[in-house]
Amino acid sequence: MSALPPAGGGLPRTVLRLHRAALLTWTVFVVGVSGWLAWLTKVTAYDPGSKGPSCYDVCVDGFSYPVQLSWAGDLIDYGFVGVAAFAGGALIGRELESGTARLAWTQGVTPVRWLAAKLALPALAVTVGGTVLSLVFRWAFAAHPDLSWENWTWAIAFTARGPLLVAYALCALAVGTLTALWLGRALAALGTAAGAMWLFSAVLTYYRPYLWPALTRTGPHAFDLPDGTWLVSEGSNSHGRFATYHPASHYWPLHLTETAIVLTVAVLATLLSFRLLKHRTESPA
Amino acid sequence: MTALSAPAPAPAPAATARPHLTRWVLRLHRPALYVWTALVLLSTVLLLLLHGPFADAAAEGWRRFDSCGFNTVCRYDQSAILRYKDWYNYATLAVAAVPFLTAAWAGGALFGKELESGTAQLSWAQSSTPVRWLSVRLATAAVLVTAGTGLLAWLHHLAWAAGRGRIDSAKDWYDMGTFLTGGPTLGALSLAGLAAGALAGLLWRRTLPALAFGTLLTGVIGGTAQLLLPHLWPTLGRSGHGYPTSPAGSWTVSQGGNTALYHVTYHPYSHYWPLQLTATALLLTVTAVLTLACFVVLRRLTGRAAAR
Repeated sequence: MSALPPAGGGLPRTVLRLHRAALLTWTVFVVGVSGWLAWLTKVTAYDPGSKGPSCYDVCVDGFSYPVQLSWAGDLIDYGFVGVAAFAGGALIGRELESGTARLAWTQGVTPVRWLAAKLALPALAVTVGGTVLSLVFRWAFAAHPDLSWENWTWAIAFTARGPLLVAYALCALAVGTLTALWLGRALAALGTAAGAMWLFSAVLTYYRPYLWPALTRTGPHAFDLPDGTWLVSEGSNSHGRFATYHPASHYWPLHLTETAIVLTVAVLATLLSFRLLKHRTESPA
Repeated sequence: MTALSAPAPAPAPAATARPHLTRWVLRLHRPALYVWTALVLLSTVLLLLLHGPFADAAAEGWRRFDSCGFNTVCRYDQSAILRYKDWYNYATLAVAAVPFLTAAWAGGALFGKELESGTAQLSWAQSSTPVRWLSVRLATAAVLVTAGTGLLAWLHHLAWAAGRGRIDSAKDWYDMGTFLTGGPTLGALSLAGLAAGALAGLLWRRTLPALAFGTLLTGVIGGTAQLLLPHLWPTLGRSGHGYPTSPAGSWTVSQGGNTALYHVTYHPYSHYWPLQLTATALLLTVTAVLTLACFVVLRRLTGRAAAR
């Protein structure tokens, strides 16, 4: 509690000091996963063991390049669940439960400024870290296309290769904050926020191919679509065969539409959080 | 709340104190009990659906697809195949999350919160000794976790076995999630998670760090067990000229050499239960060590408090 000066510079420092363990964990996570991806791209990919002659498509041991790439991708993509848990539990929920938030509001920090400082610094950390992870993953994913079975439609790479990754993390921060303000208890908010964010991403992933109009192709007989397309549906009717699909050029429209949806939810959750906080602090207890 | 009304109907306090501790634990952690019941019920419904209609529809789809051969006009129910595959993956994910959820709950809610807020210390000053406080918590949670994971693992095994040999896209028996969720390994890892969470709670005595550390420790235990798994039972091997491969449906553990002398080692499917049981024994040993560590830490904790 060394940092409670009346000047404006103290609040960010207090937030940093209070959550230095989380900041350290996040830094270790970003540096660690980036290092892992660099090692995969520069060392593991050149290991003859990962492409043995009889190994094609059949044996996948736990250390092969594609398996490790998908694990690293999983960690990057689902990092937002950790962000939601942190925001709901440690960042907001804990202080509301213990009463330190109310104490801070009596010490010359208005509730709105308190919440703004609490959100701004983690948002900055999450944006910087997420951008680094996204850039490193893009580089690693593009380095050895011959060693991976996956292309741009792979759910892990779809998210990790662009701003959608940061959007999910920011949304998790906002949703965690809203949950904590709503429930006022650390553990309940932690569990609810993490579960809700995971569910939200699962639903969006399921409906991902419908976020941009797919192309349709018809023909009297069965036909093959070019490589690297995302088949959405296919079948036959009275005129012959048809298929709807996304060509690779639809990656950015699909990706940016989903990013816009996730960011909209983030903004709504943030606005609701401030309204809820105002409502709570202005009405007599 | 119940503590005040309890002594009136029961005159012998020594006799009534015993069952109450368990009831308090259940009462205090009602939300967790509800979430656990809901998770088990929902997973049960999903796994029964997978075992019955979903697997049958997908198997029929694969039968038709396989009978098409190279016929270009092939009619088969692709959505049934994908439905089994997708929902199987969701069910596996939900069941495989149980050990980690147990660890997070044990570290955060069951131990960390009570030690941080001081209610644990308060209850030690009342009727129950610290050792009983810890044993009742661990035992109650262990019974519920064992019962739930036992049911889920059995049903998951059934849901997987329904597709084996009939659904070409079904997971192999040695797939990481399928192996963990299809046998007693799941219960053993969940109990290890419970003990890891308890140890984290007793060491940190703060809710959120204990939650994080308990989950992390469970991840390390589960990851190590996964790395050791192929070496927990003797493998079979083949070697010779050319590139010998392991038999279909077996888990290739290692291979290497050159065209003159090439070798491959593997686990056939008949090693499934030996591997499950040795992995379970290993994880239960880890659980025992962690539980012992919990009691040692508790003793040091309360011994120090008593000395002051």
